[in-house]
Amino acid sequence: MLTTLVNAQMKGIVMGMTGVKREPIIGAKLKLLGSREGTQTGEDGKFELVLPKQLPDTLVISAVGFAPDTVIVNRSDRFISLDITLFAEKLLPEIVIEMRRKTHAISRLKTLQVEELTSGELRKAACCNLSESFETNASVDVNITDAVSGAKKIQMMGIDGVYTQIQMENIPYLRGLESSFGLNSISGTWIESIQITKGTGNVVNGYESMAGLVNLELKKPTEMERFYANAYANIFGRVEANFNAGHILNERWSTGWLAHTSGMFGDMDNNGDGFRDIPMGNNLAFLNRWSYQGKKMESQFGFNTYLDRKYGGQVGYDRNLDEGKYGVEIDSRHIDVFAKTGFFMKKPYNSIGVVYNFKYQTFDAKFGIRNFKGEEKRGYVNAIFDGILGTTDHKIKVGLSNVYVDILQHMDSLSSDRVEFVPGTFAEYAYTGMRMSAVLGARVDYHNLFGFQFSPRLHTKYTLTEYTDLRFTAGKGWRVPNYMIDNISLLASSREWIMLNELKPEISWNMGGSIVQELTLFKQKGSWSADFYHTLFENQLIVDREGGLTMFSNQEGGSYSNAFQTELTISPKRNWELRFAYKFLDVKAKYGGMSQQQVMIPRHRGFFNTGYITRNKRWEYDLTVSVFGESRLPGISPTDGVYYSEVYPMVNAQITHVFKKWDFYLGGENLTNYKQKDPIIDAANPFGSKFDATEIWGPVMGINVYAGVRYAIKRKK
Amino acid sequence: MFMLNATFAQEKKGKTETAVIQTSAECGDCKDRIEGGLNYTKGVVFAELDLETKKVTVKYNTKKITLQQVKEKINAIGYDADEMKAKPEAVQKLPACCQPGGMRKQ
Repeated sequence: MLTTLVNAQMKGIVMGMTGVKREPIIGAKLKLLGSREGTQTGEDGKFELVLPKQLPDTLVISAVGFAPDTVIVNRSDRFISLDITLFAEKLLPEIVIEMRRKTHAISRLKTLQVEELTSGELRKAACCNLSESFETNASVDVNITDAVSGAKKIQMMGIDGVYTQIQMENIPYLRGLESSFGLNSISGTWIESIQITKGTGNVVNGYESMAGLVNLELKKPTEMERFYANAYANIFGRVEANFNAGHILNERWSTGWLAHTSGMFGDMDNNGDGFRDIPMGNNLAFLNRWSYQGKKMESQFGFNTYLDRKYGGQVGYDRNLDEGKYGVEIDSRHIDVFAKTGFFMKKPYNSIGVVYNFKYQTFDAKFGIRNFKGEEKRGYVNAIFDGILGTTDHKIKVGLSNVYVDILQHMDSLSSDRVEFVPGTFAEYAYTGMRMSAVLGARVDYHNLFGFQFSPRLHTKYTLTEYTDLRFTAGKGWRVPNYMIDNISLLASSREWIMLNELKPEISWNMGGSIVQELTLFKQKGSWSADFYHTLFENQLIVDREGGLTMFSNQEGGSYSNAFQTELTISPKRNWELRFAYKFLDVKAKYGGMSQQQVMIPRHRGFFNTGYITRNKRWEYDLTVSVFGESRLPGISPTDGVYYSEVYPMVNAQITHVFKKWDFYLGGENLTNYKQKDPIIDAANPFGSKFDATEIWGPVMGINVYAGVRYAIKRKK
Repeated sequence: MFMLNATFAQEKKGKTETAVIQTSAECGDCKDRIEGGLNYTKGVVFAELDLETKKVTVKYNTKKITLQQVKEKINAIGYDADEMKAKPEAVQKLPACCQPGGMRKQ
């Protein structure tokens, strides 16, 4: 399995120097003159290259618009990382050779365990918004939370998505009122790549990453298509349209537009329970940003608006008519203004970045006779100083942040209003050595209602062999729960809500480790990984659904998650990839007085994905099979015994045909047509005392078939 | 410098032939250009460039395209194809690293 250890691997980064600015070059070419081995830099300008047996060799580095450079590579460069700077051709007509031989943190070998979903991976699931973007991935689960509102939530390590911090280009995003429906507000076609970090993330971006961190990189004005359109329709009556456009105005200014609209027009009731399987409605999302790249500073600013209306419930329900039908209405809107500025300082490698974000949002929901009203104002400032201590082996980040949240939540007779000010300060030190690297960080935040919180975090990585990486992480995260909006789906039930305690912050410690092994099988590259994470809550707001009530209470201790995942990726042939994953989730807390597995969390999950691209790259085939094991269901009464859901499969497939500018795709979801039987309890009496549409563990909708087209005018390099 | 490896009517009724053509490709960007250009050409079943040898393997349907035309297409993209030289005006449009000797320029 393990190929000979004589081959050494070299990693590094290629940066481009244009005037004052030094930034990574994507697509720079690297070539060894002797062995004729070569590679290109990926995103972030990073590369990996297997060194041949015959050394020394000459490595040639070249990139469009930059003067090429060479460096002699020796046997001693095994494990070493190169930091290469190319100089702009127009800047220096003479060729400048300047080599900085220093180690550098590398994408594959980031100190944190980061899984990257690139645009190629995102193409595999054509639809629709962020929640579908995780379909071809085993680390993040997406769950339907009730049978009437269409809400979807992510989960990492079996822990609810609210404990995973979602950020848009390093700005905390989808929090507060967006925690339940926010995934719908970002279209899949806006996203360039997604980085999934397991465990607590960096301290730089806040204190809320408890189980994981998901960062979204949107399409960049300078690199995105000049024009891009996507249209989609499925057999349930859902249609979507997306338009993206990027303009480079001059050397310094560029702008990008991202627009998305969708509508669900079908009044679908496939299981005949009298309820719409997914709500009808429409939404509109728009994002515009401007980018300025100057000599001493760069800046980005823009805005994002979102408007969403959904109406579900019993078939024929009309919000304007009062016919005594059970109706579900969701009205969500937000406007978001963001800005980022970066200043380069005289000393190389030193910079200051400031991020601002202001958001205004309203969210109103109605589930039958139960109403929720929410309003949120949020302000966020984060200032980061980035620098090195002597060499780039030792990097530091220090900064200050401030969060302002004014959130109002009203539901039935309950209300939860508060104003938060959370000033904080943080420091992070990153060491990159030959084999060992570490990121040590800590932050202190002062919450105006809950006082000081100290959050230390540690991430380490050790390169065992050139094909094996070991990682370890431990850290603390915390958040202030919004028990109403975080659990808004549970309103689709007659169960009464009871809040037993005063609100307290939720605090968790996460620790875990992983092993990543690169393999060569069938003469192709493959990899195997395994990771285990333990999340222990010092305090968690537990939702206890045992015994006919929805009870919220602070549970100090006794709540934890153990998550094990292993994944094997092999490529039996060029252009053909197979991925197998297995996940074990042990997520327990005290429910109904006993330590029990959290409801709706399968203990076992299997995952298989295969993708094949024809040799002429004009046909892409993709198939994903997931198997979900039994999950515990909430008991009706404490003495009722334990109920489990069925084991079920989920099969998705897609075919894409690629033309020069056009792509056509045809896909199917839930191809085995598996449906949870009677997803709504007592659907005949929606206002009765037994009605419950929240016991959802499987698909409500049957087989779905969709088709769509993409059109792109790419930017010429 | 080129081998012709004819595979007659193995799968489909149309005659397909596979040719291995020596090109003047320099780098990964060239690979994308040559493969991209040929794969969208009518009659080409697939084209794959090996960056180590700079040889492109082209499987094509003889009823729709001739070997001569395949080579002309490569010339039009800006690269030599065996004995046939690249079109100078196409070469000029290539980025610096794809220019002849672009990877060796120091």
